[in-house]
Parts: sequence; structure tokens; C-alpha cells
Amino acid sequence: MMDEVIRLSETVENDCVKEWKEAGKKVVGYACVCTPAEIIDAAGLLPYRIRALGNPRTDIADSHLARFNCSFCRSCLQLGLDGTYDFLDGLVETNGCDHLRGMFENWEYVKPSPFFHYVKVPHQTTPDAMEYFTEEVRLFRKGIEEGFGVEITDKALAEAIERQEAIRERLRTIYEMRRGAETAFTGAEALSLFLLASAVPPEKFLELADEAIEERKGHAVTGYRARLMLGGAASDELQLIREIEDVGGMVVTDSLCYGARAFWSPVDTKADAAEALAQVYLGDLLCPRMYDDYPRRRDFVFKAVSDANVDGVVLMHNKFCDVHGVDNVQLRMDLEKAGIPVLQLEKEYGSKADIGRIRTRVQAFLERIGGTR
Amino acid sequence: MKGALAEAKTGMFDRVAMLFEVIDMLPEDMSDEEVAGLLAFLPPDASKSLGAMLIPRVRKGSMAFMEMLAVWLDQAKHAKEQGKKAILVPFCFPPELIHCFDNAFPVTSEVLSTLGVVALEGQGERYYDMALGLGLPDHICSSNSIEVGSMLGSNDFRPQAIVSAAAGSCDINSKTHEFVARYHDIPLFMLEKPVDDTERGIAQYYRNYRTLVRDLEEFFGEEVTEEKIRPVVEKHNRCCELYMELWELHKASPHPVPNLFALYTYGCRFSMWGTDSGVEMMQVLVDESKKRLKSGEYPAEREVARCLLTYTSFYFDLAGMFNWMEESGYSYLGDGLNLMFPQPIDPSSRDTMLDGMAEEARNMPMTRQMGSGNMAMGWSADAVFSVKELKADCAIYPGHHACKQTWSAASILREELMKRTGVPLLILQGDSWLKRTTPIGVIQEQISEFVNNVVIPKQSGRKKVRRRAPKAESED
Repeated sequence: MMDEVIRLSETVENDCVKEWKEAGKKVVGYACVCTPAEIIDAAGLLPYRIRALGNPRTDIADSHLARFNCSFCRSCLQLGLDGTYDFLDGLVETNGCDHLRGMFENWEYVKPSPFFHYVKVPHQTTPDAMEYFTEEVRLFRKGIEEGFGVEITDKALAEAIERQEAIRERLRTIYEMRRGAETAFTGAEALSLFLLASAVPPEKFLELADEAIEERKGHAVTGYRARLMLGGAASDELQLIREIEDVGGMVVTDSLCYGARAFWSPVDTKADAAEALAQVYLGDLLCPRMYDDYPRRRDFVFKAVSDANVDGVVLMHNKFCDVHGVDNVQLRMDLEKAGIPVLQLEKEYGSKADIGRIRTRVQAFLERIGGTR
Repeated sequence: MKGALAEAKTGMFDRVAMLFEVIDMLPEDMSDEEVAGLLAFLPPDASKSLGAMLIPRVRKGSMAFMEMLAVWLDQAKHAKEQGKKAILVPFCFPPELIHCFDNAFPVTSEVLSTLGVVALEGQGERYYDMALGLGLPDHICSSNSIEVGSMLGSNDFRPQAIVSAAAGSCDINSKTHEFVARYHDIPLFMLEKPVDDTERGIAQYYRNYRTLVRDLEEFFGEEVTEEKIRPVVEKHNRCCELYMELWELHKASPHPVPNLFALYTYGCRFSMWGTDSGVEMMQVLVDESKKRLKSGEYPAEREVARCLLTYTSFYFDLAGMFNWMEESGYSYLGDGLNLMFPQPIDPSSRDTMLDGMAEEARNMPMTRQMGSGNMAMGWSADAVFSVKELKADCAIYPGHHACKQTWSAASILREELMKRTGVPLLILQGDSWLKRTTPIGVIQEQISEFVNNVVIPKQSGRKKVRRRAPKAESED
């Protein structure tokens, strides 16, 4: 089962997406964790979270974005412009960060999408900001309805919320199975499952996830030196986690946006749909783009460290990522003060040239932590 | 040794304030000999910057600017003993609101960093290194990191609170201020700009502004009454009139506004706008430019190229950037930080004044362009308008490596400028506040090559096209 999960998760336009398109159905791409995918799902469209899967090529993107922009965004833009994402029938922008805004603006400028909508996400959670974002969610629903000529009924939205919540619930289960004394999934396997959750139809993911969970019940990954938590910037790099695990650092939990931050908070399925989605996607958002909310992010990391009995934390950020670059410094200071070993890594996204350096630094970190499990 | 350690730990604010205490004692009308004597007495970096500012053609404007800053620094320095709270604000926040309070004084972080770079020996690099020593990444904005390094790594002045107004327009500015507030455990007041140009987005910004006013009133324990706001608004309005006069003067050719005045204009906007000192300084800039217009003087043999700089400039070498351009015949029509288009505020009631101030805040540089629904289009609209209004021959993007949001939009700006105005854009890479990234000589070389190889041939090419048309008609 995990082989199939890994195979599907390693391709941008996977077999499930192809089948979906062959059936005449449409796919809408989004990139940021603050996008209410339920709205897309409720319209009978496939919500697809844009990823680059470690793609190191950025030559086309580099003529639009600059070398001072994060290489993850450049890598995604590359795939947007080179045709890899031509299967998308629409794009949804959010103002996740300055780089992401630039990625969407350049993508849309160079290669306009048949449908484009901008969900504006505040950087704080004051009552005014929540009210504004709740209205944004409603506008998003209206935008999808108008753009695709469909009606999103309250019933359809409620069902989509339940479907997406079921996905979150499975991911929480998978993460739970990694946190115990005997981890059932490697970090790379967990990331594969996570990536699949936003790249295949919900029913397909639930089927695959249930099988994977069943298969791994009672399974214990062994032969690693230390239990690590991975935190920091957007990363869908399976290979990076494999390299970390290859030198003995088992990633048993994370606070990544392509990870735990995307599903930790459950949706209130009984509340008004727009308000419930606003609460999950903004009220509960754990992202360093929120400038007055550091204590919640810190507490989330500390709880994860404790729950997963972590030996050390690796905080990484892509070069030029300001929000994580600065937040990681604050987190490092707080973790070190609490006696928790930390490795702070600045890296280039998808760069094979960086792998050797990262392996060496992780190895040195593991030496520092010591121990064999 | 003890002395050296104490000197190393002295913060940027204190060092700059000490220097300006000396500058404030200088006579307004200094002779060339007196200037030469002063420069010989100063350490090399300060001497170089002051030398650039005190060349005869800009001396009067520079003295007015430095006097204004001396008042600003003096008030900031003595805020605490006068029972006032010093509030750290970013450049994109109009300081008028803080000037309305009796119990508060604004200290603008980027103005402080720029003064450190311009006036101090070592150009603030020691503070930048201190910030990196804390583990902050080298890709954060040097203007912010210089200030952070000084505040966190030395015995520098400590603000009582921070107003963060870059949410929506600059990640790193917002992030740095969040970091400082947490490090010092001081309140952080946020003024977020929704990236939304619709009526709903504008209304939300006004709501955010009013919330900020209420939060500050509570923090300062003081209400900003109509009576307190009106004098500031009246001076803001006078500053606006003078800004518009300068804008009109910028249209003349040869360019009558000395290049350095672009910096002085926004230096005022970010610190003492809406005060008597700000009005006086702006008046001198207008008067001096009018004099030059009348005399027809221009520092070079001819005006070679009229240049609009589209974002922050390079501040680590005023002579090498501003004065060199002017002496080469490259007129500096303004840069991105001049693109704020301030408007007079209706002083009839507290509500009209606060709404007017909110509107001004919404239109501050960076907030206005990068905080718009589409960064590239918001920025392009202002650049295109300014290129046309000021009859620019070319545009230059002085790419400051930390400005990720402008870097994200620079290629679209280039396309839009070319498409809508036919004006080429030169994209430079450097650091506005650090000489170590790209030396001024390299920047000069790139500007010269651009002007000589792109702008001048384009100018003559356009003339050729114009000459050809009637010839073709007569042949027919």
C-alpha cells in the first residue's frame, strides 16, 4: 500500500488527477494553507494544492521572479509556466507571503488561468479581521459559483466540510501513529500521505489512508538514532526528509505547513459554514505570517516536542524566506532556553548541491544529541 | 580597553544624537572654509556624507534638513524625561498621529538606520553584524537589522511600544518589529493594510486605523481630541502644498530640484511631517529649487537623462549616488519613497481629520503600492503615472536585496513601463544601506552603461522616427 501512496505522491499530475480530468471534471489549484479547500470541493471541483516536489529547475521562473525570491515559489512558478500545471482549470491566490504573492502575480501575468480568484487573508485575528475574512470566504464561494457556473448549496458545502474534515482526521491518526514510542510511519511516508491528501479526490484519499493505517497498525520503524521534529518553511521535499532519515534522524512529528499545521485544528461542522471555515483557516492558523501570534506557534511546537518524545528539533527555512527565517530564530532561542536541542538550517529548495551540506549538519546534530534507538 | 568596550556598546541612536548635537550648533550660513574645517575634523565616513550634503548647491537645503533632524532627535532623546513615551514606527506609518499626542513621540526606524549609515563611522555595519550575531538571517532588510542590532545588541535607547504598519505590504518589516517587541517584551500595535482595493478593503483599513487610535489612546492614557489633531493637520496640509510645489518643480527641464532633495522630502515625511520643523524644512527645499529654476543652473553641462528611481535608493554613499548622478547629467526625479502623493486633510471635525489621516496612511509609500490587491499593478500604476508626469527618459529599480515583494514584481514593472510608456527600466542589485553588497562604483558603472547604451540611443532613435515621417510624406 505505501508503495502505491509513494508512487502517486511523487508525480504532480498523478493517475487520479488524470482519471478525474478524463471524466470531464475540473481541478482548481491553490498553494497556501489558508485556502478553504472545502469551497472548491463543494462545487464538485478537485482542490489541488500546488507543489514542486523538489523540482530543482527554475530557469523559466527566474526570468520573472528574482534570485532573492524563495526557491520553492520559483520552483512552483517554473512548473506553472513550463506546462506541468496545464491540467489546472483555475488558480486561487492567497497573500501567504511576499514570495507567494509574486509567484501568483507572475503566473497569472504570463499565463492567465481560465479562472482566477484572490482570497485575501488578514495577518491578525482581531474581531474585525475575523469578520473581514468570514466575508472573504463567502466571496470565495460566490467567485467559484460564478466562475464555474455552479451552485454551491448549503448541503453540498456541509458535505464537503465533512469530507475534508474526514481527511484531516485520517492525517491526525497517521501523525498519532508516529508519535508513540514505536513510530508506525517514517517521516517521508507521512509526507507522502499528506501530499496525497490534497492531490487526489477525497474519496480516493480516504480509501488509501484507511488501508495504510490498517497496514501499519502495530508496525514499528526501527534502526534510527534519534527522534526529530521538523519545523519551518513550506517544504514538500520528500527527498530531503529521506536524506535526514537516511543518516539516522527519524522525523516523528512536524510543524510544517505541508504537514501538521494544515490539519491540526478540526472544523466545527455544526456552525455556520463561512464562520467555521474562517475560524479554521484564519482563527486557528499557525503560520509566522501572523505577526501578533508567536506564543501560539511556540506552544504548538513545545506540545509536539513533548507529545512525540522528541530528542531534537530541526528548524529549516528556504533562503530568503523572511517569515520563517525570523520566526525560527525566536523559536531556537526559546527551545534552547528549555534545554531542547535545535538545529537551524537555511537551505535552497530542491537543490541537490545543498544535500551534502544538510546531511553533514544533520549528522553533526545527531552526534550532539547522541543515543541509538 | 574599558573605553573601547563602552564605545562598542554605545547604541546607534545615542551616537547619532550626539553627532547631531554638534551639527545643531553649526551656523546656518557656513563658508566653504568653515565646511572644509568641519570635514577635516570629522571621522572619514561622517566627513564623506556631510561633505556630500554641504556642497554649495545643496548646502542650504541640507542644513535645513539636518536642523529638522536635530530637533527630531533631541525630542526623541528627551522624550522620557519629559514624560513622553517614545514609539518606534516604520517609515510607512505617517508620524502625524503620534505628533497629536502630548505624551508620545515617534522614532522612525528607517530614518534612524539611514542616519546611522550616513553619519556614523563604520556606517552602522557593527549593528548589522550584531543582528546577525543573534542568528537573524542575512537576507532580512539591513535597515531593520541595523536598528535591531543596535537596540538588542547595545545599550541603545529602548522604545516603550512599536507601531507595526507594514502588514500587507512587507513581510520582513513586520516580522522584524514583531521580533523586537517580543525580545523587549513591549506592546506591538498593528495597523494592517488589507491587500484589497475595493470599497470593502478601504473601509476595513479605516476600521483598523480607528482601532489603532483607540489602542494608542489607551496606552498613552490620553485622548486625541479635535483640538490636539487640528494644529498637526494644518501643518500636514502645509507640508502637502509644499510637496506639490516640489512635484511641479520636478517637471521642469533642466531639473531644478537638487537630487538629494528627494531624500530630504521623504526624510521629513517619515519623521517631522505635520510639525513646524517639517514645514520650515520643506519650505527651504521649495525656495532653493525655485532659485535654481530661475537661474537655470544645472550641475552638469546638460541634462542627459531624466531618471525616475522606482524604489528605495542607495544611501551608503550620498555623494556617489545622488550627487554623482546630478554631476553626470542624470536628474533624479524622485524614487519610490517619494511616490506617496499626500493630500490635504479636511480639518472640520475629529472624524474628518482621523479619516483623512487614515487615507494618508493608506497612501504611504510601499503601503500604497505593495499593499494593493496586485503588487505589480499597484506599483506599475504609480511608476507609469510618474514617468509620464515628470517626463522621465528612463526608470531605475535600485533593487535592495531584502525587498522580496518588489523583487517579486520587478519583471512585471519592467514590462508595463515599456508597454505603457516606452521607457526602459534598469534593474540593479545591491543593498540600500550596506556598501559591502555592491560597491557604489559598480552601481555608477551600471547606470552609466544603461544611459549611454540604452537611454541615449533610444532618445536619438525617437527623434529619427519623428524626422522620418514628414520626409516620407513629402516624397509621396
